[in-house]
Amino acid sequence: MAETPHTEAHAHAEHDHDHKPHGWRRWVFATNHKDIGTMYLVFSCIMFFTGGAFAMMIRAELFKPGLQIVDAGVFNSLTTMHGLVMIFGAIMPAWVGLANWMIPIQIGAPDMALPRLNNLSFWILPFAFVLLLSSWLVPGSAPAGGWTMYPPLTLQFGASFPMLIFAIHMMGISSILGAINVIVTIMNLRAPGMTLLRMPLFVWTWLITSFLLVAVMPVLAGAVTMLLTDHFFGTSFFNAAGGGDPVMFQHIFWFFGHPEVYIMILPGFGVVSEIIPAFSRKPLFGYEAMVYATASIAFLSFIVWAHHMFTVGLPTSALLFFMFATMLIAVPTGVKVFNWTATMWRGSLTFEPPMLFALAFLFLFTIGGFSGLMLAMVPADFQYQDTYFVVAHFHYVLVSGSAFAIIAGVYYWLPKWVGRMYDMTLAKWHFWLSAIFFNVLFFPQHFLGLAGMPRRIPDYAVQFADWNMVSSIGGFVFGLSQLLFPYIIWKCVRSGQRVEGTRAWDGARGLEWELPSPAPYHSWTIPPTEAMIARGAEH
Amino acid sequence: MEAPQRTRQPVRIVICPNCSLSLRGAALFFGGLCLFCLTLAGVLALMGMWPVLPFAGLEMLLVGWALHASLARRYRSEIITLTESDVSVESRDRARCQLTVFQRHWAQVKLRRPASQLHPSRLTIESHGRQCELGSFLTDEERYGLALRLQRLIGRINESPSLASGPK
Ligand code: HEM
Ligand SMILES: [Cu+2]
Repeated sequence: MAETPHTEAHAHAEHDHDHKPHGWRRWVFATNHKDIGTMYLVFSCIMFFTGGAFAMMIRAELFKPGLQIVDAGVFNSLTTMHGLVMIFGAIMPAWVGLANWMIPIQIGAPDMALPRLNNLSFWILPFAFVLLLSSWLVPGSAPAGGWTMYPPLTLQFGASFPMLIFAIHMMGISSILGAINVIVTIMNLRAPGMTLLRMPLFVWTWLITSFLLVAVMPVLAGAVTMLLTDHFFGTSFFNAAGGGDPVMFQHIFWFFGHPEVYIMILPGFGVVSEIIPAFSRKPLFGYEAMVYATASIAFLSFIVWAHHMFTVGLPTSALLFFMFATMLIAVPTGVKVFNWTATMWRGSLTFEPPMLFALAFLFLFTIGGFSGLMLAMVPADFQYQDTYFVVAHFHYVLVSGSAFAIIAGVYYWLPKWVGRMYDMTLAKWHFWLSAIFFNVLFFPQHFLGLAGMPRRIPDYAVQFADWNMVSSIGGFVFGLSQLLFPYIIWKCVRSGQRVEGTRAWDGARGLEWELPSPAPYHSWTIPPTEAMIARGAEH
Repeated sequence: MEAPQRTRQPVRIVICPNCSLSLRGAALFFGGLCLFCLTLAGVLALMGMWPVLPFAGLEMLLVGWALHASLARRYRSEIITLTESDVSVESRDRARCQLTVFQRHWAQVKLRRPASQLHPSRLTIESHGRQCELGSFLTDEERYGLALRLQRLIGRINESPSLASGPK
């Protein structure tokens, strides 16, 4: 029959623009998951550069031994604020942003389950960070007791202390709201036919991440509240003089903290599990094993917390337990690394920017995992603890792990979001500069740590001078090269070449690629069919 | 393919939002989550760290509310009935039920393009300055499918030449 439904509805829809709020209202009252996702990502980018600026100052101070640029107090504030801003401001919101953008599309849902809650959970964040960052201006300056906020040190700050606590509360609330939204969306809004074991791995890893968030965020909230009452209301939760125990704070902080590090990495596992198959042109090796490995990692993350506290004087039995439990994590992590590698085995690989970042993730995250295993050995950790070795470890897992996975995800899905392709050459420059100078920046810190340089100090013995200078140079180039990232995105949005067809990448699978880019408002004459879902789920 | 001239019998289209979680599933899930989180907070409380407990409790309330709010979708439905002369739309919620009737001859099915490309489209049936939104809980693609189907069914009999007139 000579019917042309497309043009009919098209013609009809063409001149019927919907009058939705424009301008700033669109963003302030946003309920659309794509708008909110975009805001999260932009926010995260701003925080990434804010935290990055602190890091540049830290590296500048450490360029040479002696105090040159900042005094010791400011230095401590810089490290503390750097940690807090990067963890709560850059990495976590970036994941929530990606979740907002991709989860509804990937499971065939019209939006997130609770759009207004979604708006709230985003808008809490800017206030939390204005509060936190403005603590630089109050008497006594910004918090300086480390992102881990251990008492009694943290209790000794001035006006910045309650600001820190309230900012943490707000970030926590925002994370909880985000996590609840993700859980409900995935549980209740999956398209017919999208069974749990057909969900893309990014969705799976986010589901598990949001359980972790729901489980541990109240613990963090409780912990900082107790700090607050110890400071202002004379309670003695952590005050030895009043019968409390400062080490107890470390226990509950790390009971939150270790799952928190997995909260930051698990969605990265998901992203990499989508990208590697796409650029290997092969289905992911061992889909179900990946799901179970993620779940086991999440479970184990609850019983390893005291590996951050080996030197506080735990009983030997506890040391042994936490050592072995920590080492156990290497098993499911190993399964994952094996599966990613096996996915590439005999695939027809190409090396576009998302794949490059995913591969860097694979290599460098694994290095971070190995240094983690070294730290997990109790006798060895007695030496490494609180040295630059730990700093090297967590930057390998957090920067080349979480941050690279976020960048990989953005490079992978950006053409989907804006319907345009970015400048591939520039993105490759971004990659090579990042990958090389990341290692120049952090690899020498392993040597420094093993040689005994403590972390969180503004000055150091002259024997550490050479590697610190190398590290600082690496830091400056790494930091500067990150400026390419927003530029590449901006250029892509403004003037990138249009992407034809539904797939920006020929090997990409999944529901999100069944629609033309960017996802338009009338593209399918039929709802997502079982066949499409099955095609996306060809693991 | 439904053609307008053959719809002597009333046509009924029922659309409802998709809920992948059953009530039982939700209850089990919520129970399990509460058990886990509250046990955890309870143990901490026994160790003297009681301030964790109210936060955990509040959070569970929030999760419960969120599940409840999302599950309320299952009570929504829209029933579109087409008779020879009328198009009626019945929007149902758990308690409410709203009926809008249009004259079929004048009814228009419109799929509105969003102001921003990233926003969802909106589907309405309208005539005589009244309008009724349909399928706001569908995905864009489903809504487009529905729009096409309705346009074919209702036909643009108010346009000339009418769809019904010519051989297709
Ligand atoms: C095989 C997996 C891992 C193992 C065995 C491991 C082990 C450890 C150990 C034993 C420590 C304590 C070091 C010390 O303070 O002396 C540590 C610190 C740390 N780890 Fe890991 N880790 C692993 C993965 C990760 C991941 C995936 C992340 C984050 C994405 C991460 C982030 C951190 C951070 C931030 C610290 C430092 C915390 C601080 O003191 O400020 N780790 N890790
Ligand atoms: Cu840990």
